[in-house]
Amino acid sequence: MAKGDIVERVVSYIIKSIVDEPDEVSVTVVEQGPDEVVAEVRTAKGDMGRVIGRRGRVAKAVRAAASAAGEEEGITAGVEFLD
Amino acid sequence: MSNVDMVEVKARTVEIAIEAAMQELGIKDREGLDVEIVTEPVKGFLGIGGEDAVVRVTKRKGRRRRGGRGNAASRGQRDRSAKTKSDDQQRSYAKSGKNGSRQQENKSPKNIGAARKPERKEKTVSDDRPVLSTEEQAKIAQEFLEGLVGAYGLEGEVTTTVEDDVIIADVSGEQTEALVGVRGTVRGAIHELTRTVLQRHGQQTARLRLDIAGYAERRRQALSIYAEQLIDQLIEEGGEIMLEPMSPADRKVIHDVASTRPGIESYSEGEPPRRFVVLSKVSSSEEE
Repeated sequence: MAKGDIVERVVSYIIKSIVDEPDEVSVTVVEQGPDEVVAEVRTAKGDMGRVIGRRGRVAKAVRAAASAAGEEEGITAGVEFLD
Repeated sequence: MSNVDMVEVKARTVEIAIEAAMQELGIKDREGLDVEIVTEPVKGFLGIGGEDAVVRVTKRKGRRRRGGRGNAASRGQRDRSAKTKSDDQQRSYAKSGKNGSRQQENKSPKNIGAARKPERKEKTVSDDRPVLSTEEQAKIAQEFLEGLVGAYGLEGEVTTTVEDDVIIADVSGEQTEALVGVRGTVRGAIHELTRTVLQRHGQQTARLRLDIAGYAERRRQALSIYAEQLIDQLIEEGGEIMLEPMSPADRKVIHDVASTRPGIESYSEGEPPRRFVVLSKVSSSEEE
């Protein structure tokens, strides 16, 4: 299993569950170091607002969930939301 | 025109608070306002409690700006000074709590629309989402949580039940401990995400309680024991005890314990997220 697989699976699952256009979601895991990855999230334009949520609440929750996924793999995982 | 140019208003919803603030400032249109949401409203727990919205509304100086970035810097400054002020308020609050004098009313922002009901949010999003029954929502929550546990590659069981219109979701299994996190942070995140999923599917989301690996139950028990001990101490020594700031759910546990103990009264003070419970011994002869 490649590094960041669980992170990707978890982040992608969550994002697809909360957007209107799941087919437009892309999650790319980028290695930042030996034990660190960042999941880059892209969605359809209209969906980004929901993914981030009021005052970033949803984004914060996604980050916490991703970091728990990272722990399962013994790595640090961050999430970036890209337009 | 009044000479006040900043007010903080507390009300059941952000919308009502802004309306009230505009009246207070004598302003008729929103163009002339800077609105800062200090606290988002939180729904009550089982119809009890809940937090009002608090907004800070500042009158813009001089002419209306539209898209101009003129004095953004000075505005930032004003925001900051306002914040400091409210922090101070909060502190003096905490002190007054200790002496038992409940001056809450003077110091807290104006309370408008006080009669609060466990009513749903009144956001005016163009809503073509269906209204789902609580059972249907429970099913969506169940499916989402099962998929999530699977995405983590963990083994666990998800059950959902509906009680008094509240969805009670329980994720259990040894491995699901990984989804609790330090001080329940991951559990909190999953709770937020599950709610977001429910909101995507329908309007009028039911309340959701989520426990993972027995964390919420363990926390409830630990808090109850803690509250019992404090109350025992109060009964012996009298006076009041202020607890640390807690979430609405945690405060409810304390209030519930207090309500079972005769001669003990509990109430909450301060504004979220620093709202805290005060336990006090009721003096039998009602004198101060």
